[in-house]
Amino acid sequence: MVEKKIIIENDYGIHARPARLIVETASRFESDIQIVQDGKSVNAKSIMGILMLGAKKGTVLVLLTNGSDEIEAMEAVMAVFRKIASMKELQAK
Amino acid sequence: MKTQSKEIRLSGVAASPGIAMGPILVLGSDTIFVEEQRINSKEIDLELDKFDKALDKSKKDLQKLYEKALVSYGDEAAQIFNVHTHLLEDPMIVDETIKKIRKDKCNSDYAFASIIDNYIQSLDEMSDELFKSRTTDLHDIKRRVIRYLQGDDPARLKQVDSPVIIFAKELTPSETIRLDRSKVLGFAMDFGARTSHATILARSIKVPAVVGLNQAGKYLKNGDSVILDGEEGLLIIHPNQSTLTQFQKRYSELQILEKRLEAIKKLPARTKDGKDIELASNIEFPQEVETIQDLQGDGVGLFRTEYLFLADEYEPTEEQQFQEYKNLLERLEGKPLIIRTYDLGGDKPSKSLIIPPEQNPFLGVRGVRLYRDSGHQLFRTQLRAIFRASVFGDIRVMFPMIACMSEIQYCRRIINEIKVELKRQKIEFSENVPIGAMIEVPSAAATADLIADECDFLSIGTNDLIQYSTAVDRGNENLGYLYQPYNPAVLRFIRDTIAMGHQKGVWVGMCGEMASDPLMTMVLIGLGLDEFSLSPVSHLLIKEIIRHVEYHECESMAQKALQFSTSDDVHNYLNNIYQKKFRHLLHLTH
Repeated sequence: MVEKKIIIENDYGIHARPARLIVETASRFESDIQIVQDGKSVNAKSIMGILMLGAKKGTVLVLLTNGSDEIEAMEAVMAVFRKIASMKELQAK
Repeated sequence: MKTQSKEIRLSGVAASPGIAMGPILVLGSDTIFVEEQRINSKEIDLELDKFDKALDKSKKDLQKLYEKALVSYGDEAAQIFNVHTHLLEDPMIVDETIKKIRKDKCNSDYAFASIIDNYIQSLDEMSDELFKSRTTDLHDIKRRVIRYLQGDDPARLKQVDSPVIIFAKELTPSETIRLDRSKVLGFAMDFGARTSHATILARSIKVPAVVGLNQAGKYLKNGDSVILDGEEGLLIIHPNQSTLTQFQKRYSELQILEKRLEAIKKLPARTKDGKDIELASNIEFPQEVETIQDLQGDGVGLFRTEYLFLADEYEPTEEQQFQEYKNLLERLEGKPLIIRTYDLGGDKPSKSLIIPPEQNPFLGVRGVRLYRDSGHQLFRTQLRAIFRASVFGDIRVMFPMIACMSEIQYCRRIINEIKVELKRQKIEFSENVPIGAMIEVPSAAATADLIADECDFLSIGTNDLIQYSTAVDRGNENLGYLYQPYNPAVLRFIRDTIAMGHQKGVWVGMCGEMASDPLMTMVLIGLGLDEFSLSPVSHLLIKEIIRHVEYHECESMAQKALQFSTSDDVHNYLNNIYQKKFRHLLHLTH
């Protein structure tokens, strides 16, 4: 399992357009990919799930990937977040 | 015991006369009606299969829409259809629905709708606008999938046992086509003006309508008992007993008046001093021919053919159109059928034609302007169908939005090509199908003589003529006051068009709403209008007026009316005369 913590810096948060990009990227991988916010965990391959998170600017998210291609999956998902969310990686405490 | 709700009275624009009393059906933005039904274990697989197929069809739709949008609007805008596709593949939606069908043993449309509604509710509770607005996407996919699950026919009216009064914020032409007429008692709308499409439909099927109510949606829920007063423009919600009694009385009085008017059906539309006036009807759908034959009028003065393009996803073929027109001619038994070639754009967007978004659709590509490029093939097809049908009756054709003589010449050129084609294919047609122009653009009204040189008749389309004359959008409820049928400019246009047409030896008719306006009847007769084409709901009233006037008094009234300086002065003058002369036609309680 790979785990990373990020903070969203994008003004508009994660709304429909970026949500779609996340889903498209995550769906390419076999691993289970979860996005956790405030204890709520959603499947990154579900656009509904991501929307329901309501991730805004300043939101802290934990990304979890688990499976045979978990490393590549994490890299790819991080790359998407970087692109769409002006995200900053937080050092895990 | 249910507590009595308080009576609420809301006021809007009177769009179609009459009184309706009954339950209201609220068409919300998703306009779907879903009911939970129990299924047994054996039916579960069937239901799941139905769901799977519906998802599949929906995704295919979305792919097509994505491609169309890509071409017309670009990548950014087209992406929304991808979002919808993702939603339809989303485990949180799809898997949850399947689980529910299995666990609750219920129908797929109910299961799907419930899941989506839950998410809509959650999103609605979010404060952030960007997330809240995603509910629109959920409503959209809900509607799309459920349409397929319910057999692609809005179940909302199928499941209604008794007739209802329909309430919607607004009704698009495509939606009104799908309504089951036999279940509609009347229309109430928040938006719209007297010349909106839904109004025209209401007047066609002769039910009351009130539009521009503004905020009625806040006070209404499905099944509420209401009274709709199409004469006063009133919607009364939860009427109390005394209100009910009062309206029941008015309703029976209206029935009496109607019976009296019924009696004049078989009498001619002739003035007291013997002038015969042609009284035809405006129709929008072939089914209406029954209503107008019952009126015993002079045929169809305007057959709006846009329904052909708005009801289906695909264009109507030449054969389909030919059969419709032939059928109509046969039912009209020799009476004329005047077809207006399709007039799309403006407020009648079509799925068949992708008209690029315009800043000013009313000043843009609509009517005859469509026939040159993107709409050319459809135009030829329609003309071919019309000419093929011409051997079965008195069919005539007229062209909308004519702005100048060269446009008529263009249309005639195409007609000649069609004739040559048909001759070559040894298909029979009548050589002398009369050709007409709609006079609804000010430049056409000013040069009606030049246009008449190329035509067999002219027909004044007052709805558009009025709005172009005073440069106002008839659908804009804030500018209702500027839409002035009695504006001196409009009256002069009408006077001069008729005069110029007659000078050139062609007859001049009118098919706009003004022809149905009892206040204007005498003026129009006095100006020499040869033919009135009316909405069926006004037919008998106008006939009664014609039968009670003398031509020479109409002439002097017309002269006087044209002398006033303001719309209000004209209106007051017309109203005074009407009140004096036709008291017995007014409501008995006034």
